Amino acid sequence: MSKRPTGTRIKINDPNAPAISVKNLHKSFRLPTEQAFGLKQTIFNRLRGIKGYKEQKVLKGLDFEINQGDFIGIVGRNGSGKSTLLKILAGIYSPEKGTITVNGSLVPFIELGVGFNPELTGRENVYLNGALLGFSNEEMNKMYDDIWEFAELKDFQDQKLKNYSSGMQVRLAFSIAIRARGDILLLDEVLAVGDAAFQQKCEDYFSSLKNNKQTVILVTHSMDNVEKFCNRAILIENGEIVESGEPHKVAKAYLKMLNQ
Amino acid sequence: MIKIPHILNRRNRVLLKELTKTDFKLRYQGSVLGYLWALLRPLLMFAILYVVFTKLLRIGGDIPHYPVYLLCGTSLWSFFSECTSQGIQAIVNRGDLIRKIDFPKYIVVVSATFTAVINMLINLVVVIIFALLNGITPSFSWLLIIPALLELYFLSLGISFLLGSINVKYRDVTSIWDVFMQALFYAVPIIYPISMVAATSEIAAKIILLNPIAQAIQDVRFNLITNETITTWNYLDNILYAFIPVIITVVLLAAGSFFFRKKSKFFAEEV
Repeated sequence: MSKRPTGTRIKINDPNAPAISVKNLHKSFRLPTEQAFGLKQTIFNRLRGIKGYKEQKVLKGLDFEINQGDFIGIVGRNGSGKSTLLKILAGIYSPEKGTITVNGSLVPFIELGVGFNPELTGRENVYLNGALLGFSNEEMNKMYDDIWEFAELKDFQDQKLKNYSSGMQVRLAFSIAIRARGDILLLDEVLAVGDAAFQQKCEDYFSSLKNNKQTVILVTHSMDNVEKFCNRAILIENGEIVESGEPHKVAKAYLKMLNQ
Repeated sequence: MIKIPHILNRRNRVLLKELTKTDFKLRYQGSVLGYLWALLRPLLMFAILYVVFTKLLRIGGDIPHYPVYLLCGTSLWSFFSECTSQGIQAIVNRGDLIRKIDFPKYIVVVSATFTAVINMLINLVVVIIFALLNGITPSFSWLLIIPALLELYFLSLGISFLLGSINVKYRDVTSIWDVFMQALFYAVPIIYPISMVAATSEIAAKIILLNPIAQAIQDVRFNLITNETITTWNYLDNILYAFIPVIITVVLLAAGSFFFRKKSKFFAEEV
């Protein structure tokens, strides 16, 4: 296990500074090569001087700033590195090189319903998911009824989650998620699910975020959403920023890239 | 190193509580008797030990209250075994969370070991009930089992941190640990009295007592059941040697936490 370099992730609390600033961010993953699994092969490889992994560069020197109140869209093709970027911003992955400064509290939604367990009841899952989102018990007690009201699932509270349909699970998760309060929200494609009625609720939620001047970072494939909600956008391709600024301009560049 | 307010901050406390609750609930999910099993298991265990060792084998003839003495040992061993196996696998078992949310990773390990702590406390109550039924009178020395139990817990935690970090990349650790535990079981005086070893080889008995698990179990037996128990403290001539088990525990916990902290940055990618 050779030593891996790490960049820095700084947390500050300064009302006058940008919400997030990223400088020269690099990230690569070590993908084990075929024969490198398990202890035996690792020892053999070490003896023979084989590294046993392949380094894959995912982000190659990103620089950008997000101002407070920005609703920023991050777009790019599958595998372009945008989800990795989001995970680094969220603190899940550590940067390899470069500096990330996060100003204030940050609430990430890499996925709805993190920690949901099919063997637990709806009620137990709500408290577990709430704890993962950083709510205290008192806060959860206070908002508990509202969560079920909004999800329109009041009668299912004491059913096990495995008896919910997938749509019902998403509704419940979303209903908890929108209660999270942070200075910065990170959303990864969480809204590509659900029926038309649910989509409408998501749109309303987005509009309310935009109107409240909430800082939001949205990773999405939907250029409609980028143009409708974002005031800025960033296009990532092969781990580099290839276009940024006006949402309309970025959306156009993205569509052009897809058609090439 | 790790800042204390960070460990005890509100968010982490709530998370620890919820994860522990979840683990405990899931353990007894789908069984008719549910939580009752946590109590029923040691009771049935005692019934078996009682029959085997007082009616059939008679190994510990000279030790007073031998069945209780035995139950005490097996309960503590189960605690150590459950604690480490759950702790080592905690990060891998909770990979889904670690890949999606940023939180201090040690919470996952600690919550996994807390289920074992709860089970141990239940077992301890059973042991105490049988101790009383066997005519052992309660005394203030019972309180002295607390440091021994803490030592056993910190030892488990240190091992969990250390091996759990390696297990993320090399899952072989889980299997190796299983086999190692089988061997270790016989290296600790649980089902045989240490006096049996001492009768053939004093030096072997002394080496056995340098193992922190053996030391902790003998300490609990000494304070709870009978002060005829041979312990590290009363059997080793040089009192300085008697501190070796404690030192092993402290070193393992410190090294484990340090290593875990260093490795935990990459758990999300590797798990």
